[in-house]
This record gives sequence, structure tokens and C-alpha cells, in this order.
Amino acid sequence: MSTPILEIKDLSKSFGGLKVIQGLDLSVAPGEVLSVIGPNGAGKTTLFNIISGIYPPDSGEILLDGTSIVGSSPEQIAGLGIARTFQTLRVFLNMTVRENVMAATYGATKARMWQSALRTPKARREERETRELAEAKLSFFGERLVGYRWDQPAYSLSYANRRRLEIARAMATNPRLLMLDEPAAGMNPVETLEITALIGRLRDEAGFSILVIEHDMHVVEGVSDRVVALDHGVKIAEGTYEKVAEDRAVIEAYLGYGAAGRK
Amino acid sequence: MEFFLQQTVNGLTLGSVYALLALGYSMVYGVLKFLNFAHGEVYMFGAFAGYGVLTVLGGPTGLIVPVWLALTLMFVGAMVVSSGVGVALERFAYRPLRNASRLAPLISAIGASFFLQAAALLLFTANSRSYEAPQLIPIENGLSIGPVDVWAVRVMVIVVTVVLMILLTWWVKSSKAGKAVRAVSFDAEAAAMMGIDVNRVVLVTFLIGSALAGVGGVMVGLVFGRIFHFMGFIAGLKAFTAAVVGGIGSIPGAMLGGLLIGFAEAYTTAYISSTFQNLIVFGLLIVFLLIRPSGVLGRPELVKV
Amino acid sequence: MSNIGVDRWVAESSEHGPKGKGWTAPARSLLDRVPSGWKLLGFLVVAAVYPFLVPQAGVRIGITALLLAMLAIGLNTVVGWAGLLDLGYIAFYGFGAYFYGAVSSDQIGVQWPTWVAIPVIVLASAVLGALLSLPSRRLVGDYLAIMTLFFAQVFLEVIVNYERLPGVDTNLTGGPNGIIGVQPWQLFGFPFDTFNRNYFLLLVLLGLVIVLLRNIDQSRTGRAWRALREDTLAAAHMTTPVNRLKMLAFAVGAAVAGLTGTVLGPVQVGVFPNNFQLLFLITIYAALILGGLGSIPGAVLGAIAVAFTPEILRNPGIAGWLFYIGVVVLLVTVLRRWRMVAAVLAGVVVLGYLVRFLSLAIWDETILGAANDTFLSGILDGWLLILGPASDVVSNYAFVLALAGVLAVTVARGWRRGALLVPTIYLAILVWENKLSLQDSVTRQLLFGAVLVVMMAVRPEGILGTRRVEIT
Repeated sequence: MSTPILEIKDLSKSFGGLKVIQGLDLSVAPGEVLSVIGPNGAGKTTLFNIISGIYPPDSGEILLDGTSIVGSSPEQIAGLGIARTFQTLRVFLNMTVRENVMAATYGATKARMWQSALRTPKARREERETRELAEAKLSFFGERLVGYRWDQPAYSLSYANRRRLEIARAMATNPRLLMLDEPAAGMNPVETLEITALIGRLRDEAGFSILVIEHDMHVVEGVSDRVVALDHGVKIAEGTYEKVAEDRAVIEAYLGYGAAGRK
Repeated sequence: MEFFLQQTVNGLTLGSVYALLALGYSMVYGVLKFLNFAHGEVYMFGAFAGYGVLTVLGGPTGLIVPVWLALTLMFVGAMVVSSGVGVALERFAYRPLRNASRLAPLISAIGASFFLQAAALLLFTANSRSYEAPQLIPIENGLSIGPVDVWAVRVMVIVVTVVLMILLTWWVKSSKAGKAVRAVSFDAEAAAMMGIDVNRVVLVTFLIGSALAGVGGVMVGLVFGRIFHFMGFIAGLKAFTAAVVGGIGSIPGAMLGGLLIGFAEAYTTAYISSTFQNLIVFGLLIVFLLIRPSGVLGRPELVKV
Repeated sequence: MSNIGVDRWVAESSEHGPKGKGWTAPARSLLDRVPSGWKLLGFLVVAAVYPFLVPQAGVRIGITALLLAMLAIGLNTVVGWAGLLDLGYIAFYGFGAYFYGAVSSDQIGVQWPTWVAIPVIVLASAVLGALLSLPSRRLVGDYLAIMTLFFAQVFLEVIVNYERLPGVDTNLTGGPNGIIGVQPWQLFGFPFDTFNRNYFLLLVLLGLVIVLLRNIDQSRTGRAWRALREDTLAAAHMTTPVNRLKMLAFAVGAAVAGLTGTVLGPVQVGVFPNNFQLLFLITIYAALILGGLGSIPGAVLGAIAVAFTPEILRNPGIAGWLFYIGVVVLLVTVLRRWRMVAAVLAGVVVLGYLVRFLSLAIWDETILGAANDTFLSGILDGWLLILGPASDVVSNYAFVLALAGVLAVTVARGWRRGALLVPTIYLAILVWENKLSLQDSVTRQLLFGAVLVVMMAVRPEGILGTRRVEIT
């Protein structure tokens, strides 16, 4: 296996007396889709929040391409190549769809404010490129986010489309690792199937390495190269979907002790 | 030493008034999570209401009732008027904005504050008034604590404040309505689902907070003399400071913060300069806010994602 | 696209019908169709003709409007775009004005040429603004607002008490008296020493500021500001350096305010602490919010409205007309039926005669006839009760009752609303003729406060702004 894109070593975090993550090791290989599953309160979203720089970890190491990112701010981490979506959607509601995506290119663009104010040729060229980039990212979603929607405010979008927009926005930061926090939450069966296919395309066509939290086991089954199961902040199983799904500890974590057929 | 004690009593009196005002900010913030910028104006109307009652009763020199009754009526009158203003504010300036952005209620509050100041200017003109409290209760009457003589009015201010604080703490902790207030400030939506009438709770909060501000207004009139239409602004800022220093949303915090600001102001005036009294208090606040925005007794909030 | 499904039709439905809602909709949809460059040009042309059509006093009001427009646009950068509630904004205006005053008068014996003073002041204001943004790293919302308000208060205290600060031996600010004899701008030997010249100077500056800010708004910086206004955390996760952008917003706002301050001194040949009281900050906010938070044309329109209102109030005749027209318009919009309007108006007239009759019978201090000698008062003469100066108490009660009436009308429904309107309108007229129209400055304050409250409840997006969705 080549060097992992993301490597987490012995990560721990507690809030007050509550240990949310305990001694977690995890790695994402390039071009891999790794799913993180676990019951509610297992520490999945906290893991995302620590990786993306909202909370500092109590101990442990997070390496992006071999370089530590612990202690960096969210915007620095995003700039280094980790983009994420949110479980509770956080699109910029009062900006247009296109602007939402364009806003994610701030770190990658260079025009100074005075250059924008005077509309220098350089600033104008960059603005045009940003626009084209945003349109390219939105085009990835085909019929679902077609042109006439791009100039509409994001609040006019449906729930599923806001999820798509969040992914497009994350793509626009040009990440190496894409972190999706429950991309299929609140979607109907058809949309769930679409999301499953979309995650596969994000890996195969767009070439992202993907870390995804998901509750819907159909999605997990459909997209995962590997699955990691968490319970109470501890990794309880890791491996292929089939292996994890049949793991006794995982079944017990979801359904309670004894559910795995123990006498 | 004597001078220092005198200033301490000064600070205690001033701090009592700030604490009463700070409670209003803190309670409203606890329940609605926004700053009732017009609270200072509620207090100003309380001070004028007290003055109005005093005048109707014959003024400080020609009272037609006993002094204790006059004082009681002044406090009651101030509480009634202040609660009226406070409740009207809630109903008309804030309730329509319950689900608006965070900016909207604050701007509305600034507008309301401005409106109330102008209304006071129209009603009471720009001239300041005085309760002339020494004519009500001679300055010689009072307690002797060591070398310091404390005027009876100051004693009353401190005692009344302490009693009100105890009552309020008991009310919030033990009464049914108080528990509802705490439930709403913890999570308004969940409280509503549990059958608590949130609008009622908010109304009660404004009622109590405003009544306390009214009491504070009369106290200031009694101890410090001049009342005028603009008095609510600076006092409001300082009381807000007190609420923040103590930890906004916390009732003991508001009391503690009020006292701290009172002492800071009294000692600054006495030992440094009265010109820079406001400057120093505000400077302190800025530094404090930067170091510990959650206040002495408040808890820092976690970022929710 | 192959097929237009229901989905698409719904998505475009806003474009099928008339754009938006409410009485300003036609005007707004018309305005939206004009490119912003043409709008600006049109405004500049009208504004450039204006001083030739009005007397000197009119030019002064125009200057006030332009100053206010500049300030509102600068404030809009911080509050409207970046979403940071900055109540210390007024201090930057003061800083610019005092800085220019100090280096362009005999106050400390320093006279900088304009071309040196202006860039230095604008830069210094921006730096000061950037410094004030430092608390915004840790404080948000109300806390930030209060902190900035403290800053404004500290600024005022320092200005007024500068001389008494420890270790100061020059009278840089002139204390409570301010700085007098501030020299006008002088560029290439051309002094801007008349009202007209300052008016055009301001107009050019305003046009310049509008163009620059509009360009910034449509660039990556403007987008990042809006993103952090919408959701700071999400913006940070999308590579936006949040603190840097907050600093930029504060700095840009402060620079515009500082620049505006440099023209204030020359216009009134002095700089005084009273120019920078909270009252004026609220005025700027009123202008911005009235016009529409986040919109440059809105800020300009709001500034014009707010600058001209007090001048109208100052003329009792026009103010009276406006008041009565306002009453009728409000009646129509509140009741929506002509029969009801007529009934209420008739009720008011009857009530007026009744009160007058009773009052004459039992109270001999009643004075008849309007206090203001205007055309309207002639009509009102035989009807309204005019209270003498001795009966201030009565007008106070009437004022409080009228306020209570207005509040009650907003919550009442059906016939009760109509019934409440009768005494409310009568009281309002009584208070207007006896009190409000006689004290125009207080009335203006009352009006601005009410505008902020009412706008927030009814139309938070202002006249020209777009409504924002907060939670869905």
C-alpha cells in the first residue's frame, strides 16, 4: 500500500469527563473510499471536527501526506487539501448557487482587494477563471444542478440539491481528501441511490480520496473500499464491508449485548 | 481608612443599582439570547415614575403621607411603569422578530431605546429633576459603622437590593414559573414541546427584569440626585458591562458583576480621576471581554456543528 | 435541456409573476432592469444639477445628504456585507475629521497640504479600523456590538478630555469646544472653499467610493464577506481566512468614514465633539436600514431620505401636510376598505367636536385655534382643541394615550381596530398640533427610532434590499 493521504495515530479527545475519541488509529489511502460507521454518539462527527480543525485533539497525531496538521486552523487545513461537508447543511443560503461554489476558491485565488477594486486585467482574468471553475464543478452534477439554477439563491434549492451544492462547494477548494458527513441523510431512496453512484464517481472520475460518515448501510455497502466501525470513541472493527457487517462487536454496538447470538 | 470605607459604601450602593439593572439584561439574554439595548430606558422611566409619585404626594417638603409610605408608593409606581414599558417593548419591538436574524432584534432595540429617549424628552423636557432625598430623610439619620456614618437611604438601597436578590434567586430556583424560565433559557424549543408557554415566560421575564430596573431607577434618584432623559444610556452600558463581567445569563453573576463595576467606579472616582471614570470602566470592560468573554461565573459555550 | 419538468417551472416561478411583493414591487422590478452603471450615472447627473436649482440652504442639505450617503455606504461594508455589527463606526468618522482638523488649522500650528493629509488620514483610519477588528476574532454578535460601542464612547471621552490626559501638554482636540477654523481641501491650487465646491467634491468622492466598493463586492473579497456573514464556520472550512476578512471589512469601512470626516471639517469650518454623538450613529444606521442593508443604491436613497426629513419637519406647513397625508395613507393601508376609512374619518371629526364642546363647557383654559399658522391650521381652527402652554400635562397624557392607541391598533383585529383608530387618530392629531410639530428635532429622533423598530418588524430588508432567508 502506498503512503496514506490521511493518517491518524492514537487520537484522543474528551469533553469534560466524556471521552469522545479514545486512542483512534485510522488511515485513508489515495483513491480510497473509507466509511466510518457507528451508532449515534460514537464520535464520528467529532472525528471530522477534529480533522478539519474545529477542536484541537487532546493527544495524538493527524498527518496529511505525512505532514502534521494538528494545531492548524480550519481555513489552513482546508487550504492544505481537506474539504468537508456538514451533517446539518451549511450552505450560504442567501448567495446564489454559483457564488456558493465560487466562494470556496478564496484560498486558491490571489487578487488583492485593491486589484479587485480597480478591476485590473489580472483580477478580471482570475475572476473569470473562478467562474469557469465553479461552473465546471457544478456541471459534475449533470441534470440535477443545471445552468438555470446557478443564479438562484441557495435557499431556493431542495434539500437534496443543497447536499449536492455542499459537495460541489467542497470540490471547489480543490481537495485531496473529501470528507462527507452523512451525505445521504434525509434523502429518499432514489436520491440515496444517486448519492451512492455520485460518491463512486467522485472517486473514479474526480480522483478524490474520500472519508465518509454514513448511517445508510446500502450506501456504505455500495461505496466503501473499507469500513471502520466506531463505538464510544473506540475503533471496534475495520475491514471490508462484509467483514465489518458481520462483526460481532459491531452488531452488538448497534443492537445491544446479546444481539449477536451470544448465549 | 475612613475615606476608603466611605468609598466602599459608595461602591456598594452604586453596585446595588447596577446589579438590579444587570439582572434585567441577564435574564432577557438568558431567555431570548439577545441584548435588550433599551433596558436603560426602562430604568429611566422608572426613575421618572418615582419622581411623579413623589410630586403627586406633595413633593419632598410637603408630603401628605408618612415617609415610609411615600417611599413604598414610589417604588411600586416605578415598578408598574417600568414593567409596562418593558412589556410593551417585548410585545411590539421584539416579539415580531423572534425568528429573525440576530442583527434584527438588536437594531430594533437600538431604535426602541432611541424612541423612548425622545418620548422622555417630549414628556419631561430636557431639564433634569431631583428627588431631593435629604429633605425626605435627613442626611444625619443612619448607621454608624466604625468611623463611617452611612446615610439611612444608602442602607435602605443595599438592604432592598439584597432582599430582592434573595427573592429572585428563590423564585427562579423553586417556583413553578421560575423553573419554566430556566427551562426556556436552556432550550426554548424543547420547553415549548413540554407544554411551557414560551411567550408567557418571556413576558414574565421582561416584567420582572423591568420592575427591578424601575426599583433601580428610584434608588438612583434617591441616592445620587439628578434624573434626566439621557440617564439610561450610560447606566445601561455599565449595567450591561456588569452582566457580562459576571457572566451573562447567570443571576448570581449579575449581582457579582454589578458590585464589581460599582466598586471599580467608586474607587476610580475617588483615587484616580472623576473625569476618566467612564473611560476607565469601559477600558476595563474591553480588556475583560477580550480575556474572558464568558464572564466570571459563565461557562464558555462549545461550538456546535 | 430536453424537458421542462414541474421542478423547473417551480424553480422559475418567481420569474413568471410580477417580481416580488408589496407596494414597492413595480418600482423595484423597473430598477432591477437598469444596469447599475446607468443607475449610478443617472444619480450623478441629477445630483449634479441639483445645486443649480436650489438656494444656498438647499446645497447645505445636499451636502448633509452626501456625507450621510458616504457614511452609510462605508457602514454597509461592515454591517451589510460582512455582517459585523459595528457600533463604533462613528469614531472613525470622528477620527478622520479631527485628524484633518488638527493638520489643517491653527490648532497645533501644523498645515499639511491636502494631497498629503488625505491619503495619510484614510490609511490611518483603515489601520485604526483593523485594530478595532481584533476583538471580533473572539467576540461575535451582541458582544462585538457592545465592545465597539464602548470604543466609540472611549473615543468621545478622549476627544473631550484630551487636554487632561496624563502626559499631554498640547490641546490637540480643543476639548469640548472642538477645533475651529478648519481649512478647506485644496488640490492643484484649487480651493474647495464654497458650499457648491464642497458639494461637488463630495459627489465625486461618493461616485468614486461607490464604484470601488461595488467592484470589491463583486470580487472574491465581497463573496468571502458574504460567506462569513452567512456562516462563519462554513466559510472558514472553505479556505476563507475569517479573521483577515473581518479585519479588511472593518478597515474598508473605517477608511470610508475617515475620508468622509475630512470633508466635514471644511464644510462647517470646524470639528466639534457633538458631531460624533450616538445620535448621529443612529442616524447613519437609520439611513442604511431604511434604504436596505447590503445595497449601495439603498444606502444612498436612505441617506437622502434621512437627510431631507428633518428639513421637511422644520417647515411646519409641509410637515403638517405630510403628517395628514401619512395618516390617511396609513388608514387606507390598515383598513383596506374605503367605507371603513370614511367611517373612521367621520368618527374622528365627530369626536373632535364632542371633545371641543365638552372641554369648553367644563374647562375655561381651553384655547381655540391652531398653534401653527399654516393653511391647514385654518381648517382645523374650528375643530381641534388647542391647549395652551399651561396645559402641558394634558398633551403629555394625550401623547402617552396616542402611543398606547397606536400599539393597540397594531394588535387589534376587525371592528375593534376601526373603533380604536378613531380616538387614536384624534389623539395623534391633537399631539401633533400641540406638541410634535413644535419640537422638530425631538420629533425627528422619535421618528428615526420608530423607523428602526417598524422596519425591522415589517420590512427588515429596507426599501431596496433583498429579503434574506435565515433558517429553513
